[in-house]
Amino acid sequence: MSTSTVAPLVSIRNLSVDIVAAGSAVPAVRNVSFDIMPGDILGIVGESGSGKSVTCRAVLGLLPAAARLSGQILFQGKDLATMAESEMEKIRGRDISMIFQNPSSHLDPIMKIGAQIGEPLRQHQGISASKARAAGIRVLEDVRIAEPERRIDSYPHQLSGGMKQRAMIAAAISCGARLLLADEPTTALDVTVQARILELLKGLKESRQLSIVLVSHDLGVIAQLCNRIMVMRRGEIVEQGETSTIVADPQHEYTRLLIASQPGRRQPAVRSTATHAAPILLAVRNLVVSFPRPAGIRETLTRSDRTFRAVDEVSFEVRSGESLAIVGESGSGKSTIARSIIGLIRPSGGTLHCDGQDVTALTGDALRRFRRSAQMIFQSPYDSLNPRLAVGEAIAEPMIQHGLMTPKAARHRVGELMEMVELSPDLARRRPHELSGGQCQRIGIARALALSPRLLIADEITSALDVTIQAQILDLLRRLRDSQRLTMIYVSHDLAVVRTFCDRVAVMKGGRIVEMGEVSDVLGQPKEAYTQELLASVPKLFGADPVPVEPQHA
Amino acid sequence: MSRIPAIGLRLVQLLPVLIGITIVTFLLVKLSPGDPVRLMLGDRATEETVAAVRAQLGFDLPLWKQYLSYAGNLLQGDLGQSIRYRLPVLDLILGVMPRTLFLATYVLVLSIPATVILSVVAARHAGKPVDQIIRILSVIGMTIPVFWLGIMLARFLGVELGLFPVSGYGDGFIDHLHHLFLPALSTSVWLVPMLVRNLRASILEQMEADYVVASRAKGLPARYIFGRHILPNSLLPTLNLLGVMIAFLIGGSVIVEIVYAVPGLGGLMIEAVLARDYTVIQGLTLFYALGTVIVTLSVDLISTWIDPRVQL
Amino acid sequence: MSHLGLSTAVPRARSRGSIEISIGGSLLSAWLFLAIFGPSILGVDPNQIDLVAILQPPHADHWLGTDQLGRDALARILMGARIDILMSVLGVLPPLIIGVVVGLVSGYFGGWIDSILMRLVDITVAFPFLVLVIAIVGMLGPGLDNFFVALALVGWVSYARLIRARGLVLREAEFIQAARGLGYPPLYILFRHVMPKALSPIAVYAMSDAVMVMLAGASLGFVGLGVQPPTPEWGVMIADGQPFVTMGWWICLFPGMAAASLGLGFLLLSDGLAGRLGVRK
Repeated sequence: MSTSTVAPLVSIRNLSVDIVAAGSAVPAVRNVSFDIMPGDILGIVGESGSGKSVTCRAVLGLLPAAARLSGQILFQGKDLATMAESEMEKIRGRDISMIFQNPSSHLDPIMKIGAQIGEPLRQHQGISASKARAAGIRVLEDVRIAEPERRIDSYPHQLSGGMKQRAMIAAAISCGARLLLADEPTTALDVTVQARILELLKGLKESRQLSIVLVSHDLGVIAQLCNRIMVMRRGEIVEQGETSTIVADPQHEYTRLLIASQPGRRQPAVRSTATHAAPILLAVRNLVVSFPRPAGIRETLTRSDRTFRAVDEVSFEVRSGESLAIVGESGSGKSTIARSIIGLIRPSGGTLHCDGQDVTALTGDALRRFRRSAQMIFQSPYDSLNPRLAVGEAIAEPMIQHGLMTPKAARHRVGELMEMVELSPDLARRRPHELSGGQCQRIGIARALALSPRLLIADEITSALDVTIQAQILDLLRRLRDSQRLTMIYVSHDLAVVRTFCDRVAVMKGGRIVEMGEVSDVLGQPKEAYTQELLASVPKLFGADPVPVEPQHA
Repeated sequence: MSRIPAIGLRLVQLLPVLIGITIVTFLLVKLSPGDPVRLMLGDRATEETVAAVRAQLGFDLPLWKQYLSYAGNLLQGDLGQSIRYRLPVLDLILGVMPRTLFLATYVLVLSIPATVILSVVAARHAGKPVDQIIRILSVIGMTIPVFWLGIMLARFLGVELGLFPVSGYGDGFIDHLHHLFLPALSTSVWLVPMLVRNLRASILEQMEADYVVASRAKGLPARYIFGRHILPNSLLPTLNLLGVMIAFLIGGSVIVEIVYAVPGLGGLMIEAVLARDYTVIQGLTLFYALGTVIVTLSVDLISTWIDPRVQL
Repeated sequence: MSHLGLSTAVPRARSRGSIEISIGGSLLSAWLFLAIFGPSILGVDPNQIDLVAILQPPHADHWLGTDQLGRDALARILMGARIDILMSVLGVLPPLIIGVVVGLVSGYFGGWIDSILMRLVDITVAFPFLVLVIAIVGMLGPGLDNFFVALALVGWVSYARLIRARGLVLREAEFIQAARGLGYPPLYILFRHVMPKALSPIAVYAMSDAVMVMLAGASLGFVGLGVQPPTPEWGVMIADGQPFVTMGWWICLFPGMAAASLGLGFLLLSDGLAGRLGVRK
């Protein structure tokens, strides 16, 4: 805690939150104490279930009805924990305000942005609608939204994700709040947008003498912005202190694990096997994928082109045994390419040769047989498994459906595959919802490997997982890749993962490959401006290049 | 932003449906096992007369030619002649339609405020006794036969207590209101529960929405959030249901009009069915369908007005 | 608020909808029992006219009273249960089967087949349900068989729409994409993975549809277009009693209550299933 004589803005003492469900209380936050100092940017970092968001919401009394709170939250001599709701309403949005993870769902979809920014002004300062509008335009300027006079009359769905987050920030600071609680404010955003929002928050801190509490699962984001860090796990603070101290010299074992799990901190792929001479397994030539534009009547009337190109004349090759990364932000077309390769999406132009066959020409049984050689692992561990099927059945299904094995032999093989992905075969009878996200993702991998494919496509497979689990899954894939001699295409938005996992990388934007080459070249000395911007946007722990750390076997 | 072109295009898109509707009403008559001409002329007419009238009416032409002449007549506002009354069907329908429209409007005027109040009360006290009572009543309301409720209300409120007339339509606006109160009430008892179930669920869902927490974080009072954010967002699905329900309501009014002897479209419909007055059945079915199309179109228009994301 | 990480802490409510299911189930089983065994246990002919004992209030000999022809109301209601239950079950099944097939074909093949079938749906929903049923019955002639024909012609639409919409959502679901990517045969995916999930809303809807069908059937009986007298259908009984309703409170009361309680059974079961299967109505 701070040693200076400045009084803390908010003091939290012995805060505990229990969630009461079905008669029993589950602790979400346990006996947490900390101070938020004026001018602080305090980062709270932790994985899912760590209690970081609950702590943040407890400060403003925004917990769900099932929550039971104890302890003190002291602000200007008053205890917010016991304050009446009507009193609380006067503090929220005026003294302390909050922004949230998903700007799309946290804005009212059927109210204009201007009205939503004006609401707290009218509520707290009792000013007229027209004055609130004028003030709203000024705040929109402050959060650097271009053409504020026009944007103030927009509805949320007419704005991009980044602009929506800016609008939410505008509403939060419009009444001159002194403390801003930011709960995963950039998690739903692309990395370049995230960088700009973090920049904006930093600027607002200076220009408005704002204190900020930033809650995030991403240690990189926290380290980049915050002067102090608090690490939480299972509802407890395991460590807190100055950012530089925590990052350079973590005391607690969990903090060390968290830092070691950062993808940028992992050992880069040192792959001895030269793949340059290996035969080409996949050749993509001038691939075009078009989708019909989602059009209402107005579009039908005004637009002549009814389709847009998600993938636009893309060509690349993958050699046997190689790992190619396809990186890009949302809407870049990277997942569309992945789905085209296994024939889930039919391209509208170009060719796709895999394992000697033209995938675009395959239909029916031939296409189904081809899928024995190319398999895919999906993003969401739970959604990619049929919730009604035991996971063992899910792994056995492909072998039985392709007539490779009798059901009995397949059951035996399930056990082997589960051991291969380091799961106990005893779990085979469980259903997906009875397993953790990491376990389900391992099942997804086992299912993909059941057909012994030559090419394995991983589509954002770790983005739904906590960072420590993510590290484990990547280690597993690394081992499987070597032992099974897999050729891999790794689709991701995360450059740090790509750097340590892949041999070559293709950077995509707007359906095109903007830069492609060896990972060390492209990410080391990027030639294209977009790649440079992308790299610059990735939050770094020290603002320096990562130090290699032995991969942790967990 | 002008909506006119969008509405225009929407109307153009409706054309196939409108043509489809006329095909259905045209084919409807062909379902009947009897000979409409024979029915029209009675048993005493000779075969020659029947054949002559058939030819005169074009009933001996191929089906598609008959349809074209039917559609052509429709475009000129000619729905044919009532077999029973020997009057133009259109005149018959237009003559009684105001009564049915009055009843339908009456039902909506009773139902919409009741729906909003009950749903809001139930949702704000979700799980508490008030909510449970509203839920139980709404389930029961949906399963009660409307015509039975009509008879019961007529007996107890009408005959026993003499509060309301139990049949007819009355003269003048106030008298209409008085006469049609029981029919409108019995229909509402069935309509309101459906809407309440929907709106209550919708409000509860919206109360959980992220923007509610965000609004609270801005320091807005709960009452304001409910009125300005939750309720408008909840109305949209219910509005769509209301559109569907009005179509049902029009159908349901057929029965209620019989119970209370309201001389409206429903009365005309049943009378025509029992008298095998095919042209009247055909014309009425067409009219009901057109009414539904207009209601659906209006609901879509109102939806774009409430929710800027909705496009026509 | 899933990202609060609280969802895992809250155990899934297993008992969802169980109260509705047990009440609804009991009501339905009770009516089924009464319909099958009731008439023979009571042993009274529902069509036995007794002009000496007309319009009697409920008492020991006639628990629910007698009608204008002196027929025993209880016997008629029990016999009517057979008709009304049969009506709701047989009235729901053909539209359900036609609708599911049309919806699957439409959603699965897509393209012009889908366009044509969906235009057909658009046209059919443009007619108010009861009006079209009455019109068709009016053309074909009154009676229960023609009522079923009319229902089959009109009622399939809701099922087709429901299963098609559900199919479109499921088609994009990641586990279906995964199944396609794993190279399973299309029909296998349709029946093993899509159907079980698509059918739960159908089951829920069919239960509440049964209420609607029963009420429609009773309404038709009431206006004289459905079941023909003297068969003791509940709607017909109410229609028969209407002219005499001022002479005694019991005359129309019981058949209406019978219809309401049977409908309640279906509706509660539908609600309960919706809660249990996580279907939004």
